[in-house]
Amino acid sequence: MKIYLEKFGTLLISRQAGREAFAALQPQLSKISSDETLEIDFVGVITFSPSWGDEFLSPLAEKYGERLVLIHTANSSVKATLELLDEIKNRG
Amino acid sequence: MKQELISIGEAASILGVSIDTLRRWDKSGKLKPIKSKGGHRIYNRFQIELFLNDLFGIANDWVFNNIEMPPEFYCANSAVFQTRLAIMQGSLADIVELASQFPLVVAAAGEIGNNSFDHNLGNWPDIPGIFFGYDLYKRAIVLADRGQGILATLKRVKSDLSTHQEALKVAFTEILSGRSPEGRGNGLKFVRKIVSENSIDLLFKTGDAELILAKDSDSLDIRPSAGSFRGCLALITF
Repeated sequence: MKIYLEKFGTLLISRQAGREAFAALQPQLSKISSDETLEIDFVGVITFSPSWGDEFLSPLAEKYGERLVLIHTANSSVKATLELLDEIKNRG
Repeated sequence: MKQELISIGEAASILGVSIDTLRRWDKSGKLKPIKSKGGHRIYNRFQIELFLNDLFGIANDWVFNNIEMPPEFYCANSAVFQTRLAIMQGSLADIVELASQFPLVVAAAGEIGNNSFDHNLGNWPDIPGIFFGYDLYKRAIVLADRGQGILATLKRVKSDLSTHQEALKVAFTEILSGRSPEGRGNGLKFVRKIVSENSIDLLFKTGDAELILAKDSDSLDIRPSAGSFRGCLALITF
């Protein structure tokens, strides 16, 4: 299953918005099969921050582990955010 | 020196305010244009530059002395902030030489502004909301709040903190765990990371302390600041 983050906006920065996006995703996630990957596509996202990312990606990473795949992550704010979230996860 | 004259529309765009605001500022004497022969308001670019230098001064006056700010800079809630940040994102995207870096500038401003809202929701001491002003010509962004400040909010999870300087250090360096149910706390670490890796500078004041992060440097300069206030005041330059 592929999720285009751009559908949630091009400016993804606040915790509140990240939580709302995560809640909105739930009905779609109920359709994913147990061996299917969940692709999160960052194409079109302009600004991404750890607050939004933590609310949206962290619970997905916890639930789907290796099945969660992030693609088109070259944007500077996406890269910096993913690096920080990784660091937090590794320390936690 | 030859003057570079610009229209009211251009001046409004540089200042990030509406044309109506510039007309009001003309009437009140806050910012006087040069009138053209046809009676249209025109401005000297240098005059706008000087005025912009005072963006930090306006925010400073608001947090220190509760002097009212122009309404264009006030974001009463996070929805207003998001909307204005999206407008800034659109304007920055048009600057060719910032093509790869501008999302980081927007993200840094977003984290600092949202931090103010997240940490003070339901607990604003007097005026809720933040100051958010930017000057794309001078490449500066100013954010400020009259909230509780970093020390008071961090003390909820680190009760042994006692000074604003210590609080600043923790806020910008330590990854805090166990912040649930608040579930927040790493935005300023992110800001430090992107400043240290890019051509972005930050001045951040809270209480009686200030922190300076210089571009492309990992060093953290924390020192006492002149005067003391409740809340936060940040200047991002890029």
